[in-house]
Amino acid sequence: MFGLPDITVLAVGGVTIVCVILLLYWGLTFRGHD
Amino acid sequence: MADYVTIAVIAIYFLVLLGIGVWASKKIKTTEDYLVAGRSLGFWVFVLLMIGTVCSGMSLLGVSGLGYRAGWPTMWEEIFVPLAIGFCIIFFGVKLHNVAKNSGYITVQDYLAHRYESPTALRSLSAVAGIIVSLIYLVGQYSAIAIVLMWLFAIPLWLALLIATLVTMIYTTIGGLYAVAWASLIQSIILIVGIFIMAPIIIYYAGGFTHVNEVIATINPNLVMPWMPSGAFTPAYVVSFAIMLMVGLACAPHVINNVLAVKDVKYFKWAPLVAFLIYGAAMYLLKFTGLAGLVMVKAGVFTLPAVSNASDFIILYGIQYSLPILALWAVFAVIVLAAVMSTTDRLMLTIGAMCSWDLYKKIIRPNASDKSVLLLSKIVVILSAFGTMILSINPPDALASLIWMGIGIMLATFAVPFLAGLYWRGATRDGALASMFLGLVSSVVFGALNYFNITLFNYNYGDLPLHFSFYPLVIAVVAMYVVSMFTQKTSEKILDETQTGWYISKP
Repeated sequence: MFGLPDITVLAVGGVTIVCVILLLYWGLTFRGHD
Repeated sequence: MADYVTIAVIAIYFLVLLGIGVWASKKIKTTEDYLVAGRSLGFWVFVLLMIGTVCSGMSLLGVSGLGYRAGWPTMWEEIFVPLAIGFCIIFFGVKLHNVAKNSGYITVQDYLAHRYESPTALRSLSAVAGIIVSLIYLVGQYSAIAIVLMWLFAIPLWLALLIATLVTMIYTTIGGLYAVAWASLIQSIILIVGIFIMAPIIIYYAGGFTHVNEVIATINPNLVMPWMPSGAFTPAYVVSFAIMLMVGLACAPHVINNVLAVKDVKYFKWAPLVAFLIYGAAMYLLKFTGLAGLVMVKAGVFTLPAVSNASDFIILYGIQYSLPILALWAVFAVIVLAAVMSTTDRLMLTIGAMCSWDLYKKIIRPNASDKSVLLLSKIVVILSAFGTMILSINPPDALASLIWMGIGIMLATFAVPFLAGLYWRGATRDGALASMFLGLVSSVVFGALNYFNITLFNYNYGDLPLHFSFYPLVIAVVAMYVVSMFTQKTSEKILDETQTGWYISKP
């Protein structure tokens, strides 16, 4: 895909998606204290 | 290369920055206004300040230069540098901001002095270490500015450095963090919009995304793999590299101090995701311009200059040959300058804060008036600007190497005292001192051995299997744990005041 080996798409794309999901989870669950 | 349009565009950009400095100077009444912008930053000013602070000269010149040299195995940089902003906000920012508001911290050294009950020793060690690593980082930034101005105007290095130093120094000196934050807002918008316009044009000119990957795979199949089979960027190296970028940048003094200036902790809710998406997309595009540049060089479209840091010029040559319209070069030069200056100004201000607040006000002369502290901050900003300018006259071979060295030293020096201080009630003052001192010294030693390819005891330190910063990080962790086990614990009262414990938000 895109002229790249599958392992590259899976590794780089996969880690990026995991990061987005984790930051989305943080945003949905964070309740700040002031 | 310079024409009147180019000179006019650059001049307008510099005038806008100076105007921000003048406007911001009217808001400065106290040291708190100058160093933490009166804790008044809103969501977008904060997010773009974080992006502008992290997005340095390396982000434009070094990132694309590294892509040109080593291809996809270096793409991890585009994930973990943007993630550093989220790491900083989540693991340091929430707690530091909450405690800082109650305790009136101006710098993160205030937190370390409070948490570890060490108003002199740890504060001064931390400030001195912060000044050293910020200066190393600053040299890398000035080198990047010089590359851009020399390319654009074909002027001598010293003159390029002098112009850049004067402009950045003036608006930072007179406007403090207000000026830095609002300048970063404009610089980050220019930067992000610019990258989203510029990078696709260069990639299109090189034949498109898929074509670029196919061509670089014929040059060397490893260039399209997620890691290299040997040498730098093996899987193990990538892990240590990711830790260095994400945690090292997050605890860098010029980055972590930004969390003290936010108006409300509620902005930390979506700032990590927003910063990651915007900055991450920009970083991917930048790296890819380096790959596109490699294809253009191989196709004979242009050749890079015969200098030792030729790869740092790849994005500039890519712009020059993809965009035949002269006037646009100046606009894109402004984009590159925006990236570099948005980090440079924050670094100078951080050095000013550590000298005037941590060393002068808190240690040397506690009775000093607010006015004299403010004046000293400004003097130090000026001195650090010119001092670093002189150091930058002989720039290193590769910009990325110097800046990574700075980040690696920041990681080994600050990560453990901050993380242990915030989350482990067993961390003691002596543990923090030992960890910070050994982390700093060992990272400088490992960094130098690695950078200069030195062989010691029949081992070449240029061939370390992990990023050099990983070894001093381990030393810092061990020092913190061992020394804390055998030294006097911090009082429960202080631990409660500083919200120390295994949580991010106080339950």
